Amino acid sequence: MTIERQSKSVTDSTEHGIKSNEALVVGGGVAGMQAALDIANQGFKVTLLEKSPSIGGRMAMIDKTFPTLDCSACILTPKLSEVSRHPNIDLITYSEIKSVQGETGDFRVRIHKKARYVDESKCSGCGDCVSVCPVELPNEFDQGLGFRKAIYTPFPQATPNVVTVDKKGEPSCRATCPAEVNAQGFVTMMRHGKMKEALEIVRRSIPFPGVLGRVCISFCEAECERGMHDESVSIRNLHRFLADYERAHGAAPVEAKIDKKERVAVVGGGPGGISCAYHLARMGYPVTVFEAREEAGGMLRYAIPEYRLPRDILDEEIQRVVDMGVKIKTNTRVKSIHDLKEKGFRAVFVATGTWQSNKLGIAGEESEGVVHAIDFLERVNKGKEVEIGEKVAVIGGGDAAIDSARTAIRLGAKEVTLIYRRSHVELPAIPSEVDDAKEEGIRIMLLTSPVEILSSKGKITGIRCMRMRLGEPDHSGRRRPVPIPNSEFTMAIDSMIIAIGQSADPHGVQTELDCSEWATVKADPITLETSIPGVFAGGDVVLGPLTVVKAVGHGKDAALSIDRYIRGVDLKEGRIKERHRVQSFEVDKTNIPFDNRAAMPKQAINSRKRGFSEVELGFNDAVAAAEAERCLGCANCCECEQCVAACTREAIDHSMNDSVLDLHVGAIVLATGYRLFDITEYPQFGYGRLPNVIHALEYERLINAAGPTHGHLVRLTDGKAPKSIGFIQCVGARDVQKGVPYCSRVCCMYGIKNAVMAKEHNPDTEVTVYYADIRAFGKGFEEFYEMARTRFGVNFVRGRVAEVNPDKQTDSLSVRFEDTVKGELHEVHHDLVVISPGVQPPEGLADIAVELNMDLSEEGYVTVEDQVIRPVDTSIDGVFVCGCADGPKDIPDSVSAGSAAAMRATIILSKVDE
Amino acid sequence: MTEHVNTELPAYHEPSSSFAKEIELEPGGSGIMHCIQCGMCTASCMVANMTDRYRPRKLIQKILLGKREEVLTSELPWLCMTCRLCEERCQEDVDPTDIFTAVREIAAREGYIPAVFQNAIDKVLEDGWMLNDSYTDFEEDDRSDLGLDADLGWNTEFVKKIKKRYFKGGIEV
Repeated sequence: MTIERQSKSVTDSTEHGIKSNEALVVGGGVAGMQAALDIANQGFKVTLLEKSPSIGGRMAMIDKTFPTLDCSACILTPKLSEVSRHPNIDLITYSEIKSVQGETGDFRVRIHKKARYVDESKCSGCGDCVSVCPVELPNEFDQGLGFRKAIYTPFPQATPNVVTVDKKGEPSCRATCPAEVNAQGFVTMMRHGKMKEALEIVRRSIPFPGVLGRVCISFCEAECERGMHDESVSIRNLHRFLADYERAHGAAPVEAKIDKKERVAVVGGGPGGISCAYHLARMGYPVTVFEAREEAGGMLRYAIPEYRLPRDILDEEIQRVVDMGVKIKTNTRVKSIHDLKEKGFRAVFVATGTWQSNKLGIAGEESEGVVHAIDFLERVNKGKEVEIGEKVAVIGGGDAAIDSARTAIRLGAKEVTLIYRRSHVELPAIPSEVDDAKEEGIRIMLLTSPVEILSSKGKITGIRCMRMRLGEPDHSGRRRPVPIPNSEFTMAIDSMIIAIGQSADPHGVQTELDCSEWATVKADPITLETSIPGVFAGGDVVLGPLTVVKAVGHGKDAALSIDRYIRGVDLKEGRIKERHRVQSFEVDKTNIPFDNRAAMPKQAINSRKRGFSEVELGFNDAVAAAEAERCLGCANCCECEQCVAACTREAIDHSMNDSVLDLHVGAIVLATGYRLFDITEYPQFGYGRLPNVIHALEYERLINAAGPTHGHLVRLTDGKAPKSIGFIQCVGARDVQKGVPYCSRVCCMYGIKNAVMAKEHNPDTEVTVYYADIRAFGKGFEEFYEMARTRFGVNFVRGRVAEVNPDKQTDSLSVRFEDTVKGELHEVHHDLVVISPGVQPPEGLADIAVELNMDLSEEGYVTVEDQVIRPVDTSIDGVFVCGCADGPKDIPDSVSAGSAAAMRATIILSKVDE
Repeated sequence: MTEHVNTELPAYHEPSSSFAKEIELEPGGSGIMHCIQCGMCTASCMVANMTDRYRPRKLIQKILLGKREEVLTSELPWLCMTCRLCEERCQEDVDPTDIFTAVREIAAREGYIPAVFQNAIDKVLEDGWMLNDSYTDFEEDDRSDLGLDADLGWNTEFVKKIKKRYFKGGIEV
């Protein structure tokens, strides 16, 4: 019967000196649970804080308890549900202490609550999401022996019974993409052969999987974490594969779903405009795109040559956008943005691009035979007859320059020279394009700049150039080219293509808006708002000539802004990126073999120089699958959102953030538990190197019916039942040299229990325990030891094991020890070796101690006031300790300490009540 | 760390043999009282792996039991080849290598040196090196062919210097 008490906690963290009658228990293991229950049953409110997604602690992982051989879960599970249902217990899992202030009766505790990405109040723990999740990760609860999904419950009885999404943040690939394409997401779906779902993930962000799969500069690949290990994943070519795959297998027909009334105009049918129209159409807005030229596509159609981007790919992807209900009016030049608004368009997106070629500004630029890259490429791409000389010089180092040079080769030029004023490091073109250009025989002349175009009778005959060196970096961060005096030389040429950048049309329609001196629109970098409300601008007309994917990204951002503008919602709120970007050190790259990225098959050089058919041929199924396998899955959860679709209660929210909670409590109970000694510090036992050497907690999971092998005791290498098992005691305990001189107290008994369990699983197994002393000090312990020896026939050998070596011939492990009773040196073979590691203070206890201003012992445990008469009081008033936080304890002792600490804490709480 | 254990636990039980205490006072022998006879040293030992006679744990046990005469006259303490693997692995921070060195020190002081070791030392002190007897004309010829000095007479000079420095309190013999 619980007593009713009035809570006296205050939520305002600024007030001090007010006492609280609530308690905080840190750690949801069996000791912490006991303490919380005992405090709660006296009528006080308790907050039980747990770091992992579920309470239960180590006891939940253990198979059987000693010496009674009771099922650990059977004892623990009723307690788990009692804690979760207790009206006075507030269970906060997946959270840690951030800071503590104050004193006994008045502690202000700040708690960092990690984002679970699941609404705990909605989730029923049904597990529908778990079965659809494509990401598999080692299960910490099973000591990494089994696997769990990225959305998971650690074990079936997990409390609270809600799933957790394991997400480290945003992977680099996605964080760097201007259009925020979820690369990890679609690559993960590809690994599972789900091409349709993968393509859908790409299409959430961009309408152009096939187009960008060919021409994107792929910022993602530059930042790909795999590139820190060997070579980055070929992300761009993978989403090209997805588009190719859909073409080959037939796409599902697109249905227009325009359900909104507010009409939106898009000025300019380039990548930015189409992208904006696409995203608005997905939201249901009727959109009209106005395109001045004969066909939509912008620079994609009129600048990028066909050998890089076949026009049927572009046509099909634009057609898809039209099928979604977007109207594209070609041959329609918009004369005034104001008129559009008056014609009833609620919002306008201006993406007219930069179509004016920059001039070199040197003598002779007007000569016959000198063309500008955009004009040249546009004429070629429109299929017009274009004359090109035999010796061609291309000025510039961007993609337009490379495209012009490679186009010139295809038109029959004999000798093409690309002249760029900086070095290869600064060359802005896509590196693989530069390599292709070199293969096709294009000469690249670096650190050279033209100074004069030489002509005879108005026709170009040559070019005078000057050599450059690199000086100090300029405002763009690139090193400025400085002319080398007296380095002029002359080259005979008969055609010249100038590709030194483009500008916006100074008389274009965008000049109605506030513009910079270069006629580019001044737009907000996040919302893309312009000086006129309801008019947004993006792409090259804002940024100056950049890359396709930035324009596509702007289209997406503008669509979001337009939707918010029409709905009357704040444009900016929540759009500044605050997500944690997964850092390099957070991605485990150990044990990943080096592997080169897949090479793109290409058309042979001789045949590709004769025409405009596509150079890059695309991956086949096997190459794509192998390449997708190389993804490291940096963020764990890939945000494919299959779980969101599977959840019938709308409980999953991938946009959740970590949060901070403030508590006001009168007493704190520390029940932070323990960690096992890291036995890789004993290289002679081969743990981590020899897969059949495992530690006791791994063994517990192996013999547990709910464990990764469903309770079958097998070897990890071959899955066979071991015929002989050796248990090595006193590893990482009673070792002066390793800084753990103390006895861990529980290893002898759990070691014997594990040995008995091996016999229980298979009585024919030979089981040997290697010990220095058997410490069977409690009630029933000595009897249990005796029973293990006599009834179960466990073989006990006094002598510490010196080393464990693999024996390849018998596929077993040879254990070397001296039987000190008989004085004989032995080398015995076992199929499985189980190490019983000692107990260590838990990780993070030192941080909490600093916050509490509390001393820890030399070994790192909490020091208690007096081991004999005040065993649960710490040096800080109002802070108590139980379980293994102040030293190794077995389960009954931990639970007793939990009750004791609860009692000590409630003495303080009841004084507040008086 | 060892002192720490001693002072923290007043009722710490120590073997009572006077020989063990004698070893403890000898340089390198200080860890002997911590031995719990777990057998880690024997199981790790290279020499024990090759011969059944040599068992470091048993030898330490004999010291702890006070079998002074038996240990000092035995040649077993002289068999340790000082690889120090036992020292690396001993969980009680006992150093069998140094303990056996301490045993050898005492044994040598009392004149118990196995003949083979005594002979080797005598030979070095006489000739300056071990292989004087096997140094023949053939070697001299080989050295000459290689352009090396065939006369190794500097060895006697070296022995003199050693004797002067380390024997009879530094007085030349």
